[in-house]
Amino acid sequence: MAFQSKRKYCYFKENSISEIDYKDVKLLRRFVTDQGKIMPRRVTGTSAKMHRKLVRAIKKARNIALMPYTNTSTES
Amino acid sequence: MRYYESLYIVNPNFEQGKLDDVMKTVTETISEFGFKTINHFVWGKKRLAYNIQEHKYGSYVLLHFETDSSENLDKFERFMVLQKPILRNQTVALQDKPGKQTEKASSGEEEKKDPPKDSSEKKDKPSDDAARETEVEEPSEIKQEIEKEESNEPEQETEAEEQVQTEENEENE
Repeated sequence: MAFQSKRKYCYFKENSISEIDYKDVKLLRRFVTDQGKIMPRRVTGTSAKMHRKLVRAIKKARNIALMPYTNTSTES
Repeated sequence: MRYYESLYIVNPNFEQGKLDDVMKTVTETISEFGFKTINHFVWGKKRLAYNIQEHKYGSYVLLHFETDSSENLDKFERFMVLQKPILRNQTVALQDKPGKQTEKASSGEEEKKDPPKDSSEKKDKPSDDAARETEVEEPSEIKQEIEKEESNEPEQETEAEEQVQTEENEENE
């Protein structure tokens, strides 16, 4: 099997994280694109339950300006 | 007992004394409303992800408090919105009681990540954001980091080539 893709897994289940803190920007940045968009579940492999929590956390972080709503400029 | 966490952004141009005044008024107000403060400390001065009232930086202050009833919570939110030095605030309900935290434990880590300004941005520097210069300019360290990254790249390429070769071999078999 030459083109076996890397198996996706839920990051939060693997690391046994049950609650996501919206202040933990370093963690949340793994799940958004460079533009600041939330990546879909089919890409990240996050479980449905944790994805809902993740989305809420990202939106809270955006509200308090820890994360961008959009990022069109080249700087990260 | 309910526990809440409020994170608010204070005007970055305030010096320590003014910042303490703002924090003092907030502390007084929440005790007026019958809330009990658990933690209240400056989380650090950070670069905002987007400009708020034309400010690029903000002093984040973290406040944990507990209360029996959520009656006065609306009033508290209203009070925070009406404060001019507070650019933005967000209050979140917590499930568990927050532990005692200190300033040093949670802040400091984020500030290193601030990327260097482009040369174009330096030219049109706004006069009100005087504090940003001290945080931003560390060119020598950044250059070193860039060099490191560049040195890493060729290794990755060789790995990729190896993979391609192995794949080709498998196909031949």
